[in-house]
Order: sequence, then C-alpha cells, then structure tokens
Amino acid sequence: MSTTSETLAPRRGRRRIDGWRWAGRVFLLLMIIYTAAPMAWMLLTSIKSGFAAMQFPPQWWPEEPTLASYAKLLDPQNSVGADFLRFFWNSLFVSTMTTILAVVVAVPAAYAFSRFSFPGRKFLFFAVLLRNMFPAVIFLVPLFILMRVLGLVNTHGSLILTYLTFGLPLAIWLLKGFYDNIPVQLEQAARIDGATRFQAFLLIVMPLSVPGIIATAIYSFIAAWNEYIYAYTFLSKNDQLTLPVGIQRFFSENTTDFPGLMAASFLMSVPVVVLFLVLQRYFVRALTEGAVKH
Amino acid sequence: MAHVVLKDLVKTYGSFHAVNHVSLTVNDGEFVALVGPSGCGKTTTLNLVAGLIPVTSGDIMIGDRIVNDLDPKDRDIAMVFQNYALYPQKSVYKNLAFPLQMRKLTKEEIDRKVRDAARVLDMTHLLERKPRELSGGQQQRVALGRALVRDPAVFLMDEPLSNLDAKLRVQMRSEIKRFHQDLNATIIYVTHDQLEAVTMADRMAVMNGGFLQQYDAPAEVFANPVNMFVASFVGSPAMSLVPLEASGSGDTAALTSAEGWTLPLSAENARKVARATSRKIVLGARHSTIRLHKSAEPGAIPAKVYTVEPTGDITFVQAFLSGSIVNISVPASVHVSPDEMIWLEFDQARIHLFDGETEMALKAA
Repeated sequence: MSTTSETLAPRRGRRRIDGWRWAGRVFLLLMIIYTAAPMAWMLLTSIKSGFAAMQFPPQWWPEEPTLASYAKLLDPQNSVGADFLRFFWNSLFVSTMTTILAVVVAVPAAYAFSRFSFPGRKFLFFAVLLRNMFPAVIFLVPLFILMRVLGLVNTHGSLILTYLTFGLPLAIWLLKGFYDNIPVQLEQAARIDGATRFQAFLLIVMPLSVPGIIATAIYSFIAAWNEYIYAYTFLSKNDQLTLPVGIQRFFSENTTDFPGLMAASFLMSVPVVVLFLVLQRYFVRALTEGAVKH
Repeated sequence: MAHVVLKDLVKTYGSFHAVNHVSLTVNDGEFVALVGPSGCGKTTTLNLVAGLIPVTSGDIMIGDRIVNDLDPKDRDIAMVFQNYALYPQKSVYKNLAFPLQMRKLTKEEIDRKVRDAARVLDMTHLLERKPRELSGGQQQRVALGRALVRDPAVFLMDEPLSNLDAKLRVQMRSEIKRFHQDLNATIIYVTHDQLEAVTMADRMAVMNGGFLQQYDAPAEVFANPVNMFVASFVGSPAMSLVPLEASGSGDTAALTSAEGWTLPLSAENARKVARATSRKIVLGARHSTIRLHKSAEPGAIPAKVYTVEPTGDITFVQAFLSGSIVNISVPASVHVSPDEMIWLEFDQARIHLFDGETEMALKAA
C-alpha cells in the first residue's frame, strides 16, 4: 500500500462518518418533535380554561393559565376527583401486582431456561412465544368466558392474571438473555468458594441481573398501566375501573372537558416517567464488564 | 493439604466418553499438570474433581474421603478459572473475603486472612478496586488470591495463564511455581500448553481422546514417550516421526525407506524392532539428537531442506525425509538453504522406535 492512500483513507472515512452523524442528528430532532409535541400540547391544554381550550385559531400559549383542572382531579371531595383518584389507585394496584408477579415468575423461569437442560426445554422456550403471534383481541372473548367460569369478572385478579400471561413471554426472553451473558464460571466459583447452588444464584447471579430485572419490571409495569381493551371488557363496576378506561368518562358528558382530560392524561403519565427517571441508570450500567476476560 | 486419587474415572455424555477410565494419584504437595489438546478430557476431569459435574462411574478421593457425591463447597478445594471468574460487583477485598464469609469466619479473621493474602500476592493497594479496573495480570492475581485465602486441601487451576499475553504468561508461570513451592500445595493444573506442564509440574498427565496416555515426571515423559501421540505432543519443536519399513532380522535389522536408503540399527534397536506387530516401524527423533552433514557421510541418510528458521543462537532446519518433515537444530554458524541436499545422522542411543500399527513405543525386552 502506498503512503498516500494510507494517509488519505482515514480522512475520507471521517468525513463520511460526519455526514452520517449530521443525518442522525436531524433524524433525532425530528423524532423528538414527533414525540414531544403532543406531550407539550397536552400540558398546555391542561392548564387552559374549558373555553380557551376550544378556541379557534387555538391559543398557542394559554393566556390565563390555571391549575383548576388539576385541583379538581386531585380533590377527593369533588366527585370527579374521587373517581380519578380511585382509578389511579386501581391502576397502580393492578400494575404493581402484575410487575411483582411477573418478576417472581420470570426470574426463576429465565434462569432455568438459561442454565439447565431438561426435556422439552427448546419446545417450551418457543411455546412461551406462541401467544405473541396473535393479536390481543383474539383472546378477548375466550378469556372473558374463562374469567366468568373462574368467577373473576369484575375483579382486579382477572386483569393481573391476563397481563401476567401476556407479559411473561417477553419478560422471560429478556431475562434469559441477561442470564446467558453472565458467565457460568461465576456460579461455579461461588459454589467452590462455599456457596450452595441457591446461594450462588442469590448472592452472585441476582445482583448481576438487576438491570435485567429492572428492565423486565418496567416493561411489565408499563404494559399493565396502559392496557385498555381487557380492562374495558372485564370490568364494568365504576369503583374498579383502571385509569385508561376511567379517563374516557371525560368524553361521555355532554361536552368533552378537554383541559380535564389532558390534566388526567398528564397525571397518568407521571408514574411511568418517574419510574424511568429513577431506574434509567440501571439500563446503561454494564455490570458484568470486567467480570471475565474475553 | 491432601492427596487426590482418581480411580477408574468415567464421564460420558450420551454415547460420548469425555473421560475414559482415568486412574491417577496426586501426592500430597505435588504439582500435577493435566495436559492435552482441546477436547482431550482434561477440563472435564478437573470439573469432576471440583464436583461441578457428576461422575458417571469411578471414584474420586480427596484426602481419605470419597467425594463423589459431595457438593463443590464441601470438598475443601479452591479453583482458578481461565477467565478468572471474579465477582464483578464486588471489590477485590470482597472477592477475597467471599469464600471466608461462606465459611462463617468472624469479621476479624476474614480481615486478617484477606490482608495476608493480599500481602503475599503484592496487591494490598488494589483491595478497594473493582475487577474491571484491574489489568489482566492483576485480575489473574486476585483469582489466585481468592483460591489461596482459604487454605484448601487442593488447588485446581483451569488454564489460568492462557488469557495473558506472552510476556506476562512467563512471569506468572514462575509466580505460580513459586506459590507452589512456598505453600507446598497440592495443585492440579490443566493446560493445553505442554511447555507450561513441562516447566511447572512435578508430574504431568498427558491425555488424549478421554484416555490417560502417560503419567510421569516431565523429564521422563520427554525422554521416554509411551506412544506416538505423547512423542509428538511433548517437546517443542515436536519430535519428528518418519514411517519406515523394517528389514533383516535378529541383531542385524535395518530400517528401509521407499526412497531407497537403508538405516542400519544398533543391536538394541534391532531387538526392539523384532517385537513389533508388523514390519511397519515409525522412527522418532528430537531435533537436538540429529546431526546435519552438508555432504554424504557413512551412516547418514539423504534429505532435502524445506525451510530454515534462524532464532538467533540456534537455527531450526526442516527437511523432507522419506515423505515426512524432520526438524533439526544446528548452530547459527551452519548455513543451509532451501532445496539443498543434506545428510542426517541419527544417534542410535537416542532415537525412538514405534510400532507402525499400534503406535506404541517399542521397548527392548
């Protein structure tokens, strides 16, 4: 290779990468606008008065910002507020229970799939994915009938059970990937160092799989928190509704209370955002780095 | 410390015999290397001793106990892994403390032992670091420290040096040897590198295809390999092996090549050849036992130079002899060039003769 081509090649390479980097930035900017603009509009509308929200051309910036909608929603004395807080609590309960159960079931399941060989391992592993081949609506009526037979219609148990079956396959797959990446020698070392198999799992493997468990938990929580169609079908009693179903009551009055709807939507997104802000560092922390030499 | 006995040890996976009726004894305080090419069953054997996989049949004794059904934690062993297997979320201190915590020692005892081990391995300044903040050599040393901190009956080491770069490997090799001498520890050391086995071990167990081929002191394995596999595996460059045909009988036998030349054998070597199962004999010779002549000499046989590899003080010559490649070492002052004809003289007292059918070394009665 001649000297000229050696010195030119990297420079040409860098220029090309720069072009891609700028294209990437523009793309990211568009994506941010695409995702953030509706959120911004939601927030702006939620602090308008009912009249201001309906004006055309729209008020881009609220002329008389008010927190009245939030006050109404968060006031347990107000009938709207009492309902909203109950729905909020119901959603929180269902989602939290789903998350806890999903982690409790998925962790040992994923570990078993990752570490042990047993008859039917491969078949079972792909069987858990089978559910994901079908859209949720297909299971709506069969599951409703099943829940009626089990006497679970109009209970939160029906939702927790359903969300669990839908969420587990991906949770198990996700976690299995994490366990696959944890070298088996770490457990072997722990067992030689005096730990039982279970202690090796608990003391060595579990702490390393925390990012995976958190990712799984967030996934389960958000799926349950946002779910609409099953909640709408299984629950009909007002005091049991979850937020996605409950919020639509803002539509059902004579006029739609847009600021109220937007305020409710905003409050509904708060737990998810908080969850992400608190736990995001676990996503990026590569804990296994330095564990073994590759 | 304790001795280790493997008695007719077998491990099968389905119909595949990973470890095939291996029996050997590791004496108290002995450094034994299990050596062989990949897939020879050496790591499986080590894992059987560690208790990480169950034995199919046979017995493993550590000290005077049969440990076949004991958990790894109850075998009183320590192990160093090829990838070190340091707990990534724990500091070096906690890595070293973990085996002691598992044995429910008091905080003061743990602290004393951890600091002792750190001092021995010269890594007191690293105690608060995480494994990922250490270099390969330092990680290796922590792995060694975690094994030594507990004072186990046996140390098991699974290719502990193969992830290090060449220079560090040589340095750690002498450190492990030193470690063995100072502690008088019983060590079973798995490696695919025969040089590590030869330089470090008191005895080496050469394995191939799940079978134990030869178990002896490195010098003995080097001098008297029991079969062609061991002969070609131990030593660098490998022993040259040339398949030939035996002719004559009694004390006047010779080896004949299809190329037309004949190598007369000494009386002792002739008696060895007489014991072979057929006329097919494989001649083996190490590079240093062959003399190179640049012109025809009585008793020397002709060969053609293939490559010449100068290494500084000695030069390795590879030559074609009867269709096989033969390694010869010569002083750097000897100059030969590729395709040149040379004449090779074999030292009758130091050649090896193998049965061409069974591949076993031929011995004089």
